[in-house]
Amino acid sequence: MPEVFIDGKRYEYEGDHQLLQFILDQGLEVPFFCYHPSMSIPANCRQCMVKVGQPVKDRESGEYELDENGDRVIRWFPKLQTSCNIKVADGMVVHTQETDELVERAQKDTLEFILANHPLDCPICDQAGECPLQIQTYKYGPEGSRFEVKKVHKPKRVQLGPRVILDAERCINCTRCVRFTDEISETHQLTIVSRGDKNYPTTAPGTEFDDNYSLNTVDICPVGALTSADFRFKARVWEMNQTPSIDITNGKGTNIDLWTRDNLVLRITPRFNEDVNDHWMPDEGREAYRVFNENRVSKPAQNLDGEQVKSSWNNALLTLAEKIEEHDGKEVLFVGSPHASVEENYVLMSVANLLGAKNPVFTPHIEEGYGDGFLLTDDQAPNTNGCRALGLDELSAADLKKEITGAKMVVLLNDQLVDRNVVSAKDIETPFTTVFATNHSETSKVADLVIPITTAAEHAASYVNVDNRAQRTVAAKETKYTNRRLDIEMSEGRLDRYGTSFDNWVTEDNKVDCMPFWNFTSQLADRLGLDLSYDTGRDVMNEISEKVPAFKGVSYSEMDANSGIVLEETSDKTVKS
Amino acid sequence: MSSADWKNYERVLIPDIDGLEKIDVYEENGGYSAFKEVLTDKKKWEGPKSVVDEVKAANIRGRGGAGFNAGLKWSFMPPSDGGPRYLACNGDESEPGTFKDRKIFEYNPHLFIEGALIAAYAMEVTAIYVYIRGEYKVYIDMMEKAVQDAYDKGFIGENIMGSDYSVDFYVHSGAGAYICGEETSMLESLEGKRGYPRVKPPFPAQKGLWGRPTTINNIETLAHVPNVINRGADWFSSIGAENHPGPILYGISGHVNRPGVYELPTGIPVLTLINEVAGGMRNGKELKAVIPGGSSTPIVRADQLDGITMDSDSLREVGTMLGTAGMVVMDEDTDMVDMLWRISHFYHHESCGQCTPCRDGTGWLEKILLRIKNGDGEIKDLDLLLDITTQMEGRTICALADAAAWPVRHTITRFRDEFEARCKKSVHAIA
Repeated sequence: MPEVFIDGKRYEYEGDHQLLQFILDQGLEVPFFCYHPSMSIPANCRQCMVKVGQPVKDRESGEYELDENGDRVIRWFPKLQTSCNIKVADGMVVHTQETDELVERAQKDTLEFILANHPLDCPICDQAGECPLQIQTYKYGPEGSRFEVKKVHKPKRVQLGPRVILDAERCINCTRCVRFTDEISETHQLTIVSRGDKNYPTTAPGTEFDDNYSLNTVDICPVGALTSADFRFKARVWEMNQTPSIDITNGKGTNIDLWTRDNLVLRITPRFNEDVNDHWMPDEGREAYRVFNENRVSKPAQNLDGEQVKSSWNNALLTLAEKIEEHDGKEVLFVGSPHASVEENYVLMSVANLLGAKNPVFTPHIEEGYGDGFLLTDDQAPNTNGCRALGLDELSAADLKKEITGAKMVVLLNDQLVDRNVVSAKDIETPFTTVFATNHSETSKVADLVIPITTAAEHAASYVNVDNRAQRTVAAKETKYTNRRLDIEMSEGRLDRYGTSFDNWVTEDNKVDCMPFWNFTSQLADRLGLDLSYDTGRDVMNEISEKVPAFKGVSYSEMDANSGIVLEETSDKTVKS
Repeated sequence: MSSADWKNYERVLIPDIDGLEKIDVYEENGGYSAFKEVLTDKKKWEGPKSVVDEVKAANIRGRGGAGFNAGLKWSFMPPSDGGPRYLACNGDESEPGTFKDRKIFEYNPHLFIEGALIAAYAMEVTAIYVYIRGEYKVYIDMMEKAVQDAYDKGFIGENIMGSDYSVDFYVHSGAGAYICGEETSMLESLEGKRGYPRVKPPFPAQKGLWGRPTTINNIETLAHVPNVINRGADWFSSIGAENHPGPILYGISGHVNRPGVYELPTGIPVLTLINEVAGGMRNGKELKAVIPGGSSTPIVRADQLDGITMDSDSLREVGTMLGTAGMVVMDEDTDMVDMLWRISHFYHHESCGQCTPCRDGTGWLEKILLRIKNGDGEIKDLDLLLDITTQMEGRTICALADAAAWPVRHTITRFRDEFEARCKKSVHAIA
């Protein structure tokens, strides 16, 4: 097997590798700025310099030539090489900054150059704390500055587009953003202008940077040159918790991180998943952080004499139980939702079955022509395939409307049917309608009973994307009834791990008075005398994988280990009892 | 012909013939006969490879500055796969002190066109591009006319002169960037992109213009080709210096009585060029220094010049290079600090900004030099300047960082006393 020696240690490899990526894959480090694994390699930052040599082979015998000590004779490249654009070759010998003073010096020199015209305004810069330039300067940079002349001044606070702001002085001209618009989003909206130390990225005159994926450039910017118009100056990265989750704004199931502080989701960034979204996400998905914070249904509400008033949990529970008992199971229509998780839909289905009601129905939320073949999909819901895999009855919008208007009682799982014009407000008003909702909407407004449930940011639950991949979220923020230090389903942040109880910001108002759907349903089942009880989404999923053939072998640990699991197509739709 | 006999040298690149820029006059004087012979005389020229071999034997060392054997460069082109292949002619000369190719555009454009056509045939090229510096507006117009005339006469186009060889010829104007004279950024510029030099490998011969095999040659280099075909490789390699043969265009500027472009053999002593060819120093002043081949080549002090001739071997003895043979002569009144600042200003202005060491290094160099020039510099700044040049050299994609660093390094080391005299007499406490 071909071999390569890095800092004196031997590594075997197969296939084609760029040296820098190979080094990073071994868990070693070489500093870099312009290189990005998903884009072309311009080798322009000159930061990842290493010393590279190739052993000398005897032309005739093909054997390695040896010196008097029996070591291979190495022919070194005359200059230091940028490791990003050099291919690993058999027998290659590499010296990084760890073992070679010249390399260490070269990296330090490059950082000195980069910092020469960098404003060094880290204390007011949003990137501070997650800034490759800051981190690498601490690790590999010069101790002080010898730059005693005037820095170059360039445009600051330039609104490049609706979502991205440029500070050209911070820019180190790595061209990652330009390459992103050229190679990934293919809108070619950015370019570098001017020359030498005056150059910076911007749009063509009279155009704006309104790319659907523009905020990815903020993520990949290795300095604070590009910042998000929405997020900037809102929070320091080290004060936030980072929780892995899934984008619920469309059917792609983009892997994301929720950044929370004080039980508010402050921003959403993409999380790497080679099979789904690579390093990217659409801007739309990032805007969705508001869904978790704003306009939330907090505390149940009941329609009394044509007016919705807040109610207690106990009262809501009793009202719903009574209404169910008043009706024959067959008269109750359970409506599932592609906007709700697999677990929620499954629990709804279980209740319906236990009550002898019709199998729950749902209608997909499709907007034809909305998708772009990349990360935006026609499907506006995150879990359409999940509903299908569970075996809910899929109806057209018109058929669902017919069903609802014909029912005496409707239990609607988080789906804003009125808002998306499947039914009218009137259709909902006629039967006794209970809506389990995360956010206020035209639909929840006209319901007879509104029960607040948790969002994807508050519970761990699974979603099946357009490619049949089941992935799950992790609870990122607390509700009134959870505690991040006690709830094992909750992600643990730096402050949870190392801080005291007083380090995390806690504003009680930011905690929503809501409950996971399965918890409320368990209480309801208890009241109705049904055999159904779940504590967490994990419990529900364990049962699903046992009982629903499509989800065989799916569990939270398996999804975590494999970045999601692709459900196998199965004709067996029967749910085991 | 030896270089000592330079007074009897008969010019071949820009001979003294009136109206040679007109295609009819050029043809009357034997123009396009070499191209015709290569295409039609199958006995003498068995095919493209025989042309490459002849040019390789002539040892035309590239006149763009790097001095690489042109024929050898041509032989790097992979065998034709039937797809497009390109010849890109570099007429972007913008280095301070270099102004020779413009004379070819002006006085003998068809010689260059013929050379390019022969080169294109030799490498089985399908299209020729000539990239001309944007400021040369007049010459661009002249070249466009010359190319059109050659098209009209059937020297360019489909099935040239009844052969099965076809080629197209395009004149492309630069837009004012020195960096576009770097061969790979010239290709980017030809493709309509920002003039950023490309990372090598892949080399242009493998992946050049639009990803296809491409060779890049200097204008003067190609202008030598018809003469090599007509008179033979031996004729060419017998002229001038042994390892750097042939006629060459010397562009002499600065404090001499007769600055200008002179066509002479290589290997003429520097002092002969100054004192005899260029008419001696202006106002009878003393010679102080010479930059031999464009502003990026290291400067040489007058006392180093005894016996030094204009060819790469001899110039290497005094730590410099032939470059483009664009010689800048400076007399005793020249202020080295001002001169170096002006050169640094040029490289600062022209750095494309792609690589960090060059982007920020060139600006830093200029700003420190400006400080010294204004009398605010300190002695330690000189060491810092040398340090910065070390940090720039050999760490970038193209050679612009080297070109910016060498003048600083060599001017300071060779005229350090002048720089120190301009610095403040700084007094630093020892403890």
